[in-house]
Order: sequence, then C-alpha cells, then structure tokens
Amino acid sequence: MGQPLDVNQATREVFGNISPWMQVVFFAMMALSIGLLVRQMISHLWRWRKGRPGGFERNPRVWLQRLVIYALAQKRVHKKTLGALLHLLLFSGFVILTIGTTLLSIAHDGPYNFHHGWYYLIYELTLDIFGVAFCAGCLIAMYRRAFRRPPALGHDWRDWWLLGILLSLGITGFAVEALRLHYTQVQPWLAHWSIVGWLIDRSMLQGLTIGTAQTMHLWTWWLHTILVAIFFVTIPVDRFLHVITGPLNIALRPERPMGALVPLTIKEVEETGRTGVHDLQNFNRQQLLSLDACMECGRCEDACPAFAAGKPLSPKRVAMDLRDLMSLGGGDAHGVIPDETLWACTMCQACVQECPVLIGHVDLISDLRRDLIGEGKLFGPPAKILQQVANQSNPYGRPNNERLAWAEGLDVPTADSNPNFEYLLWIGCAASFDPRAQKIARATAQLLKAAGVNFAVLGKEETCTGDPARRIGDEFLFQERAQTNVATLSRHKVGRIVTPCPHCYNTLKNEYPQFGGEYEVEHHSNLLAKLMADGKLQPDAAGEETVTLHDPCYLARVNGEIEAPRAVIASPNEHKTREMPRCGKKTFCCGAGGGRMWFEEPPTQRVSNLRAEEAVATGAQVLATACPFCLNMMSDGLANTKGGERMKALDISEILLARQKRAGLTGR
Amino acid sequence: MAKSLIVIEHGPSGLKRSSLHPMTFARQVGDSYALLLLGHRLDALAPTLQSYDATSVLLADHPALAEPLADRYAAVIAEVACKESAQTVIASSSTFSKDVLPRVAALFEAPMVSDVLAVENIDGVSTYKRATHAGSMLANVRVTSDRCVLTIRPTSFAMPAPSSSLSPIEKLPVDETSLPKGMQFISREERVSDRPDLSDARVVVSGGRPLKDTETFERLVGGLADVLGGAVGATRAAVDCGMVPNDYQIGQTGKIVAPELYIGIGISGAIQHLAGIKDSRVIVAINKDPEAPIFQMATYGLVGDLHQLVPELIEALRRA
Amino acid sequence: MPLAKILVAFKSVPDPADAGMSSHDIASKFVINPFDEIAIEEALRMRERGDVAEVAGVTIGPAAVDEQIRAAMAMGVDRVIRVDDSRALDPYAISRILCSLVGREQPSFVIMGKQAVDDDSNQVGQMLAGLLDWPQATFVSKIEFLDNYSRACCTRETDSGLEVIEVSLPAVITTDLRLNEPRYVSLPGLMKARRKTIEVATCEQLGITVQPLTVILSTARPPKRPAGTRVDSIADLVARLKNDAKVL
Repeated sequence: MGQPLDVNQATREVFGNISPWMQVVFFAMMALSIGLLVRQMISHLWRWRKGRPGGFERNPRVWLQRLVIYALAQKRVHKKTLGALLHLLLFSGFVILTIGTTLLSIAHDGPYNFHHGWYYLIYELTLDIFGVAFCAGCLIAMYRRAFRRPPALGHDWRDWWLLGILLSLGITGFAVEALRLHYTQVQPWLAHWSIVGWLIDRSMLQGLTIGTAQTMHLWTWWLHTILVAIFFVTIPVDRFLHVITGPLNIALRPERPMGALVPLTIKEVEETGRTGVHDLQNFNRQQLLSLDACMECGRCEDACPAFAAGKPLSPKRVAMDLRDLMSLGGGDAHGVIPDETLWACTMCQACVQECPVLIGHVDLISDLRRDLIGEGKLFGPPAKILQQVANQSNPYGRPNNERLAWAEGLDVPTADSNPNFEYLLWIGCAASFDPRAQKIARATAQLLKAAGVNFAVLGKEETCTGDPARRIGDEFLFQERAQTNVATLSRHKVGRIVTPCPHCYNTLKNEYPQFGGEYEVEHHSNLLAKLMADGKLQPDAAGEETVTLHDPCYLARVNGEIEAPRAVIASPNEHKTREMPRCGKKTFCCGAGGGRMWFEEPPTQRVSNLRAEEAVATGAQVLATACPFCLNMMSDGLANTKGGERMKALDISEILLARQKRAGLTGR
Repeated sequence: MAKSLIVIEHGPSGLKRSSLHPMTFARQVGDSYALLLLGHRLDALAPTLQSYDATSVLLADHPALAEPLADRYAAVIAEVACKESAQTVIASSSTFSKDVLPRVAALFEAPMVSDVLAVENIDGVSTYKRATHAGSMLANVRVTSDRCVLTIRPTSFAMPAPSSSLSPIEKLPVDETSLPKGMQFISREERVSDRPDLSDARVVVSGGRPLKDTETFERLVGGLADVLGGAVGATRAAVDCGMVPNDYQIGQTGKIVAPELYIGIGISGAIQHLAGIKDSRVIVAINKDPEAPIFQMATYGLVGDLHQLVPELIEALRRA
Repeated sequence: MPLAKILVAFKSVPDPADAGMSSHDIASKFVINPFDEIAIEEALRMRERGDVAEVAGVTIGPAAVDEQIRAAMAMGVDRVIRVDDSRALDPYAISRILCSLVGREQPSFVIMGKQAVDDDSNQVGQMLAGLLDWPQATFVSKIEFLDNYSRACCTRETDSGLEVIEVSLPAVITTDLRLNEPRYVSLPGLMKARRKTIEVATCEQLGITVQPLTVILSTARPPKRPAGTRVDSIADLVARLKNDAKVL
C-alpha cells in the first residue's frame, strides 16, 4: 500500500498460497482427469471407426469456412430467444476462460513469462467480464429449465448436475479471486482490474482476517480445482461433448446440395449385403460422429412438421436413439427406430436447416429407409406407387402415353415437332396426370406461349424423375429412372429446363448431375418472374384478391428460391400480399414430401391441416403455392380447416394467367 | 333338348330374386331346366319356384345343409346333376355361386364359364360373352365339352316371367354320412343395412366432404340411394372426418365399383377416387365447383348447391 | 406342431394398371396376379411367425413367367416350381395340373388368390379343392390356426357380410383384398432372388395330360364412354337418366 503506481509491477503469483506438494497433487489430478478425457474421446473415436470408412469433407477451406460460420460465429444458434442468448453467454465465457487458462499455463510453464504489466491487467479484466457472462449464462439456463421448460429441450437431473458444475466453477473462481485479493492485500488500483473479485472482497469479506482469508482461499482453490477436474471427466459423457464433437462435425460433414441424397451402388450392396443401413455400423464414420455431436437442443424437433402433427417422429430422438445404440456398442438400428418413425418423415429438411452442428437427419432417415425397402418392409399404397413408377413410369399408374392429356386444345410444341427449342418444359407427373394439377401445366404452357418463349415438352417420353422412389428409399428404382431420363434429355440435346414442380426441379438440378445429367434448371416461378421483369408478360394485377404464399420446401428451403414466386404474384397494392409466420426458408411443409404424398394418414395427424390453419389466419383470400403436391395437400388442408372454405388454393401460374388474361393474353 | 340344372339361392329374407334369372338364360338357349334348392326347412320357399316352367323343383332339405358350406353343397349338386342327366349347371353370379359352382365343376368333371353376360348361337354351338380384365375386355368363349358349369351375371338376364302351369316338387334324399365334413360354419355378421353391397350394386350413390356430418350424409346420400335401391359409398375425405364408416370408401385404396349408375354428390374427383369409379356405366356428378375434375369423367354433370339439388332429385325420383 | 409346407399358386398377368391402355394386344408389363401376391404375402407372414417351415410356390407358363417367379422369390418364397406349358389353359386344366402337383409336394395346405385379374374367372381354388376332396375357404380376409394346426378358422367376405368358417387341414384357401397388404420388392431383393434356381416340371413328368375345354374365340373392347354432358336442372337430369341412359 502507498507504493507508487507501476504498471510493470502488475502481476500475481500463479501458485500463490499453494505449496509445492499441493502443486504436485494438482498436476497429478489434472493429468488424471485430462487423461480420462482423452481416453473417453479415444473410445468415441473407436465407435465412429466402426462405421463405413469415409464420408468426410476433405477440403480444408470448407472446414475453415464452416468453423468460422457455424462454430465461431454460431450462425445456426442465433435467434431472438433466451436459449440463444444463454448459449452466447456460456459459449463466449467458456471460450475466453479456456483461452485464458491456456495462456496462463503457457506463461507459467513456458520459457518466457508474459503474465504481467498491461497484458496482465487486460487479462484480469477480460476474464472477469467473461466470467460474469459465463455465470449469467448458467443462471439463465437454470431459470429456463426451471420455469420455461421448453419441451423440445428435454429435461433430466443430469442437466442440473451439469449446470451446477458450470455455475460452481464460475462462483468458486470468483471466490478464489476475491480471497486472494483480500489476503494478499493488493493495492486498490491493481485490484480494480479484477473487478468482480474486488467487489466481492469489498462487499462481503471486510472484517475477515488475512489468515482466515488465506486458509479459505486454499480450500476454495481446491474446490475450484476439483470442479475443473470433474468438468474434464464429464465432457465426453454428456451434453458437454458437443464442445468437441460439434466443431468436428461442422468441419467434416460432406459438402453437398441440401436436396441431393447420396447415391448407393450395387457394389456397395453386394459388399455389405445391405441396402442402406441396417446395423449401426452401416452408417459411415462421419454419420456416426454426427450422432455424438447432438447436444439435444431440440431445434430440429421444434421445426419438424411430422412431430408437430403428432406423428411418431422427432429428428432429435432419432439422433439420440442411434447415439445411445452406438454407446452400447451398435447393433440393429431398426431395433431402436421403429419403421413408422422412419416413414413419418416428409424430408422437408427443416431439421437439417436448424441443426447448429450440421447433423444430416434426413440422410440418416433415408439410409434407414433404404434398408426397409431392401428388406421388403414397405406395404400398402406407397408400395403400389413404387410399382407404378417402375411399371408405368409414373406414380399415378396411368399409361404414359396419356402424358399430354393436359395439353388438349393448347397446341403445345413437343421436342419432336420443335427440335430447336430453347427451354424444355418438364411437366412432372402430378401436373400431367392429377386433374387438378393439370391446370398448372396448362397455365404455364399458355403463359410461355404468350411470352413468346421457344419451348417444347417431351410428351410421352417424359417419365417420373424418380424423386418419390428415392425419397421413399428405393434407390435403384430412382437410378433406373434417372438414367432413362438423362438418356432422353441427351438425345434431345436439352440444355435448359423449366418445370412447375419443385421436386422435379430439385432432382433434375441437384441429383441428376450424379448420373451425368448437367442442365440449367429453373423453376417456373423463376422464368415467369424474368418474363415479367423483361416486360414479356404484363399482367393486370390491380384490384386483386389478397394472397399469401406457401413456400414449397424444395423450392425455398432446399434451393433458396424465395423471391421469384413472390415476384410472380406481386401486386401494386402491397396490402394485397400477406406473409405467414413461417415463410421463405423457414417455411412449413405441406406434408407431401418424402413420399408422404402416397401414404395413408389418420386425419388427426395431417401436416396439411396445421399449415392450412396458419394460412387461414392471415385472412388472405388466396393461398398461392408453387408446387403441384403442395396444391393438392393445401386444397385438402383448407377443406379440413375452419374458415378454409373462404380461401382457395392456386398455383402461382394460375394466378398469373388470370391476370395476364385480363391484360390480354397475347402479351408483349 | 339339352337339360340344365339351375341352383337357386336363398337367404334369411327368402329366395334371392336374382338367382332366378338363369331361367331366362336357359330359355334363351332352348334348354329345359330343373331347379335345385338346398338348405333346411325349405317348404315355404318351394311353391314360389313351381310357376316358372321348370321340369321339376328339387329340394335337398336336411339339417346338414342348413348353412351353404361348399364341400357339402357341391357334393349334393354334382350328384343331382348326374342323376338328372343335366349337361349344364347354372347359377347367378354371387359369392355363394362363386364359392360352390367351381367345386361342382370339379366333381362334375366339366369346365366352367364364369359371369356370362350374353349367349349367342353360332353354328349350333353356344358362344358365351364374358368380361375380363376388370371389365376392360370382352371375350367370346366356347366350351368344347358336352358338359359345363356356368354362372351368369343377373343384370344381363331379366327376371323370368312366371307361367300358369305348376312344376312338380321333388324332395331328394340326403345321406348325411356320405357328405364331406371338413368345413364347419361358425358365424355370419348380421347385416345392419338393407342396402345392397357396394361392390355389386346396380346403383351407387356416393358422397364427399361437403356433406358435413353423418346426419346430412344419411339424409341426402342415403336418401337418394334408397329411392334408387342403391348402395352408399363415400370419398376418403368423408370417411376420414368420421362421417361414415371405413367400408364405405370408394377409390384406389378402397372399393372399386362399376355400377350401372354412379352418382357422386359433393365430390370434386380426387384422382384416387376417380380410379375407383371409372368403370361405372353412367356417372352423374353434382358439385358446386364447375371446374371440379369429376365433371371431365361424368356422363351427366350438374353444377349447383347439393343441399338444394339433392332433395329436389330425391323428390323427382319419388314421383317418377 | 407347426406346419411343414405351404404351397402358393400364383399366375402372371398383364399389369392391371395398364388395363386402360388402348394397345392392350401389345404385350404390356406382366406382374404377379395381385390376389396371388396377397396369398404369397400371407404365406410369408405365416412363415415369419413360425406357423410354417417352408413356403413353396407354383406357377404354370412358359419361361417368360420366370420374371414373376423371381419377384415371388424376392418377396421371400423359398422355392418355386414352374410347370412348363405355354398353352392357353382354362381353370379346369390348371386345377388338374395343380392337383397332381399337390400329390407330389404334399403341402400342409394350398393358398392362392381368389381370382386372376386378367381372366376374372374365380374358379381354380375351388376346383382344386373339389379335385383333392379337401375343404375350402374362399374370399378369405383373416386366417387363424386352431387345435395345434389341425384346423384353420377363416373369415370370408361374402355378399351378405363377413362369414366365419372352420376348415380342417389340409385345405385350399383363396384370398381376398383385405387379407393383407403385400410387401414391396426392390431391385436388390430381385438380384438376390436371381441366385435361386427355379424348378421346372412338365405335364408329362407329372404324369397327366390336360386339354383346355374352353376356348376364347375372340376378344373385343367394350364400347367407349361417350363424352359427358352438362345438364341444367334436376328435371333435365332425370329425363336424360330415364330416356338416354335408361338407368332409371
């Protein structure tokens, strides 16, 4: 006290108050707990190694990019929720405290001790601030668990144990600091930099003798140290594990368009004797790693349409159940995931989009479905649909030579009658055969003609893209369709494709390249919006009914096309368009995806009803869709929903055609 | 003149009228015919059969025949056919005759033609017309043996006109010990409805979701079906919302129907439903939405409010 | 004691989904008769439940039907016998062939579809039962075994509703639509089935001669549905139903 201010003097003894033999015990304990941590992590590694080799992203640039975006900047975590806030506090606190502790040991055990002066002061202040953040994060987490109890999070006594360790770590850390300041009688100017400890000292420890403080410091320090050791041991067995596996999976998950499933080869089937995944070890190593990355946050479950509709599926439970099976040494994956759970998935990718650690739930489900198909575990209507895709080349079971029935009286050019077309108009099976959806094909063709687009259709040469087969899990039926269609498209020298079906769009764009089919694929919304922007279509949109748009998952979320359908139905009067709470990439499935279109569903478990309620709540008169399957499901959904009779479901092309007709169909 | 044995069917409510139609067939080909009735306590049923110009009305009346078990019935029928020197055994198409008559054919050592729609005499030989491939093809079939077993579609041959002369009734001795005993009757579900079965009704009236509730469905769809003597069906949507039971469902995943007249009320025509009705001879659609896909398939389409039109139709049919 | 063997008889038929096609005479895709597929599925489920040890299949036709035999094997049928005969046989002839095959195979019972969807005759099961002098249960929508597999309790779908009968085994059972939903067979399953051998037999080997006793002279399409009309009123509708359509 009373000494001159010398910043360079600012430092503290690292093992002050800790006798050398205690330091030996400390290092032994740390070595033991870190050893246990490493041992646990190695056993995790061995579990992952049981999977099929590979599946990892190999490009380090991708690793780095993803680590920055998803691990450091935590893009998927940020939301305006309490959970996101507390994670930010915990995460930043944890990272800074870990870095701080690491720096301290480098300074202490390294050749050059830099732990003094301005560096020391800023170090102390920073660690105190983030220590507070860390404790605040713990407290918010406890509050959330105790009072908000979000169901998707899951609640277990172990969560309290973990939060207890974290909070105790923070509190004992500050207590050690305060007691140190007290018994070492640090000068106030220096103590101020350890602001929290100083405040505790000033408010609570006054009157404590130096000797008592020193003894208390020793015991608190030991408590803190033991907690650190326990924390290390706890990391690999509980939710904490994600601090290691999360970034690992973020970096190593293979880069692939969201809408593309992984092809399977006959060779692989012959090698493993399995189509897809039956035993856990049929998953690849990255997939097994991803199971350990799940920290059970429940964001996937909150986004899952099947879960919301009361179906027996939670993407989180799928990951957790498989992970638990892995921790028991593996085995029959179908033993833990019932078939109904796998069939319930609409493959809308909402869970995949939400997952902060990039788990590919849809890939997991798809691999398990493939095995069900291989084992003959598919029955009833969807089985019939696949047979029809195989035998009639379309899921409707109609003779394929009736493919142009929708075009009656429209004089639509075919690839044979107009071989020099610019755009191939790929109709898709729904718009070809479903009487309601045929109107989409008619409207689109009429609009393209009005805008003077040089296009052609394949007619009876068009067959199912194989999308329903691939999503349901019959990979080889899909591949057969893909190869046939790629051959047809090559024969007609197709370069650009436009289609009103987002599922055809996704498959042609993202999956056909796997079979040598590279095309410039557009959804009809995109082309129609361009034609409007170029003035080739000049619809009369005045005095329209109010419209809300249901974004198809495979257009908006999976392929990022959000603006085009909105541009097509845009009205000069902004009040005429309304948005549902879940729109754009955050859209909510209609219930038809993943082959669900073809499954029988109990009326109480219809995803479409939930979505229809959301649409009706906007008060709009028209529910615009941009997908024939969405149109089908939403029409059903509206029919089942109170107030749904006041709303009609229309494809964007039908809306545009009506407006264009008012302006004169010839256009230009 | 060749001789036929016609097997007559009966149930709790008496003789099945449609099972008399084979007599029209036999008259058409110029056969004489005996009628055979099997069962227990048949005395009350027999007199009706006397006035159809049959050579005789044969009764196989025995407690062992109280229920139509195929093994016993076939044994009796085949034995009677031999004894009567019949060349042809005929019955009307039904699940009863489909069950029993092929077995008769096996015992009678004769081929069989099912579900005959028409018969033609070409060069002195009968040629039978029958539907195949779920009604999408018609085949002309000839039998190259001197005996055969036939079932005829009752809607293709009219009810025979009665005559004034009475055929004799003959009670056949039934030797229970010689009858097969491998089949045992346990129970039969009691029919709750008087309406005909969906899958072979001549008229089917079917309703969709806009009928709103069970009561309205029954009043409009049921009411119309009853005026026409038809069966009642429904769309999946109507079944799903609990308006009607599951076995009403018509469509790809429900029952496939092919009646003479199908009337769809408040049905827009989901492709799954249309697949189940496409073979109906006449399709009538009543729907509010003029763009409803069912109108593309309907023989007659009427656009309007079903709550007003259906009562009007029921009234018009009642008057007619 | 569980049963030793089920014999499932099945037929190859043109895919019923193609039935609406205008070019019916152009050979379309062939499939296992859907009702027989249900019979196969039921037999497989019995084996999977442990009711029976072996599911044997039989079909009659030329080598072209091997594709459907593979499909049956891919579903899980243990072995299939094809009686090589390319003639257009009638149900009576088919029943006689099956009868002699049953003599050779000695199954615990025979199961098959109630009818083939091409010919729609609905005869073979009943004829076979008659020739064998076995009990029969036709149009069955539920099967349960009783008394140590000596009898089967079967629910039948009849015009007047559901009927329950008991048959002593061996018997012939024919299946209706609601009995089950057959499993889906995918390419890997078919590939595995390719490795199984198909047993081929001829009528001579079975020691019988059969001749079809019914002949199809000609086939034709039924008249096409005329284009529909819109009517304006109930009166108009009733008049047309009465005078034009003649359905009232």
